[in-house]
Amino acid sequence: MAAEIDIRSVTKTYHRGGEALRVLDELDLQMEGATFYALMGPSGSGKTTLLNLVGGLDHADSGQVVVGDTDLTDLDGSGLARWRAEHVGFVFQGFNLLPVLSARENVELPLLLAPLSRQQRREQAERALELVGLADRMDHKPRELSGGQEQRVAIARAIASDPQVILADEPTGDLDRTTADAVLDLLQRLNRELHKTILMVTHDPQAAGYADKVIHLDKGKLGRIDDNRKATGTGGRS
Amino acid sequence: MPWRLLFRNVLGHPVRSLLTIGSVAVAVFLICMLHAVTSGLTRTLSAAASNRLVVQSAVSLFVDLPLSYQQKMAPVPGIEAICKWQWFGGRYEQDKGGFFAQFGIDPETFLPSYPEITIAEGSYDEFAKNRSACVVGEALARKYDWQVGQTVPILGTIFTRNDGRPWEFTVAGLYKSSSASIDEQTMYFHYDYLRESLETGGASGPQGVGVYVLRLAPGTDPLGVQQAVDGMFENGPQRVQTTTEAEFNRQFVSMLGDVPTLLQMVGGAVLFAIFFAVLNTMIMAGRERTRDLGVLKALGFTNGVSAALLVAESLLVCSLGAGLGVLLGLVLEKPFQVATAAFIPGFGFDTNTLLLGAGIAVAIGLLSGLVPGWRAAKLTTVGALREVG
Ligand SMILES: Nc1ncnc2c1ncn2[C@@H]1O[C@H](COP(=O)(O)OP(=O)(O)OP(=O)(O)O)[C@@H](O)[C@H]1O
Ligand SMILES: [Mg+2]
Repeated sequence: MAAEIDIRSVTKTYHRGGEALRVLDELDLQMEGATFYALMGPSGSGKTTLLNLVGGLDHADSGQVVVGDTDLTDLDGSGLARWRAEHVGFVFQGFNLLPVLSARENVELPLLLAPLSRQQRREQAERALELVGLADRMDHKPRELSGGQEQRVAIARAIASDPQVILADEPTGDLDRTTADAVLDLLQRLNRELHKTILMVTHDPQAAGYADKVIHLDKGKLGRIDDNRKATGTGGRS
Repeated sequence: MPWRLLFRNVLGHPVRSLLTIGSVAVAVFLICMLHAVTSGLTRTLSAAASNRLVVQSAVSLFVDLPLSYQQKMAPVPGIEAICKWQWFGGRYEQDKGGFFAQFGIDPETFLPSYPEITIAEGSYDEFAKNRSACVVGEALARKYDWQVGQTVPILGTIFTRNDGRPWEFTVAGLYKSSSASIDEQTMYFHYDYLRESLETGGASGPQGVGVYVLRLAPGTDPLGVQQAVDGMFENGPQRVQTTTEAEFNRQFVSMLGDVPTLLQMVGGAVLFAIFFAVLNTMIMAGRERTRDLGVLKALGFTNGVSAALLVAESLLVCSLGAGLGVLLGLVLEKPFQVATAAFIPGFGFDTNTLLLGAGIAVAIGLLSGLVPGWRAAKLTTVGALREVG
């Protein structure tokens, strides 16, 4: 199978106060489609930076980032914006729902960028919310929801426009164990049932256990890649 | 463009939005009223007729001229008619707090000198025939509900009747004016009625004429007449100053100080204050939305949309405010006009006033939206989410 995400010799350097910090150092990494990856590593190892490059939120200094059949290094700012709208969904640690919009409206937001009628937008948003088990919370504002529910709304928003790739940066970082497990279950289902390619940054080994493969990053270099399916024979927990 | 988000952002901070809308409304209302005053003054000035000269005392407008001057000026070539004007300064019995102007004039020369006046009701002939008759502006008649034929008691302040009773004028006609040079809030009566009362001892007060208005024959050079009249009384007994009507009006207006400039300065100051208030609010709103904007960009919204959201919000709030302010102005225009007619000639909204209100809304809205909008456009998702998160 062709690699869904292909990172070729990518370097990213930040400059602060005349000091250059090489966060990613000629990184090479291939990820397959329809696979659930966890990305682990010490704080400051460049996990978020890598996620941002794959999501087209930032440019690499050198090397190539190819997702699907798009070379992101070819795209400019607005090209990347258009690409993001169609091809990736983001889930953040802090949920990042817009507080003034209801759950349904938050999920509808990315659909405004798709050529859909009002009715279609509404239906598609409702379907996504049903999928994450929040059919009865559609008209609630974020502040009327629990953290776990908020994160599920955020996941619904990430999948609303049906992107192939979902990028999650510590999605369970702010949640307790039980709630975190529910969210991880949900991500796993998206991978198993809808065949999404998921890249999830996490510090939590238990969370990483839900993934098919665990990528270890250290000081901008690729460490080992564990295959949970080989280890357990069944493909992770649950 | 996520319109719903735009409206929700405005509604999401009802107090802040209402305060901003309210302050823009007050500012626009104030500026429209100031504009209505200055444009009213300008209209009055520019409406002045070029074939009328005003002869007044060289000392001051408040010094009367001798009655005998009329005969002396009459032979000056180019003068077609002379009309006396005398300020009466009376108070209406039924509304002593209210104020409107009354003038004693010469009925035979008044109407022919002021073609902008037409009689809407009653008859000018009746007025001319009856010594104690008067004509009043339509607006004034409406204000006090005066009918043709009614007798109106006016208390003299400068000219008092010796029997202690008010003067009585019978309304013979209501007039309309097609020009800002003559308002519709004034009462005109016979100068001779006043003069006779003074001469026969029925009343006391200064004897003389406030100003003489000269109507020039077509084709007359006003400068020549001006010089002839001024020269005629060069050696007294009372020196005069002859001016065009436009110049006279300008003088009259400038007695209030340089009101238009002052009002413009006040308006400008209000505008500045409100601009900074709105700008500050919008910058605050933009900062608060940093995370939201980062999320929008992550979802694929462009920099342009991010900026447009803030600019549109600012425009929306300012337009609502301006709309409210103009509406308030339109509602209060008439009452204000009636209340101030005597000392603010020509007060009224015109197209320019409304355009000014709309222009202020757009200008303040755009400028205050562009600052946070610019920041929103430059913001990167990565930066925005790191900053707060
Ligand atoms: N905009 C920036 N300017 C300068 N340095 C930056 C910038 N963004 C990130 N860094 C630095 O780059 C390094 C990698 O950051 P990154 O956020 O990718 O780490 P991470 O692996 O996600 O860490 P964590 O687990 O704490 O989230 C850190 O040392 C960070 O301080
Ligand atoms: Mg991170």
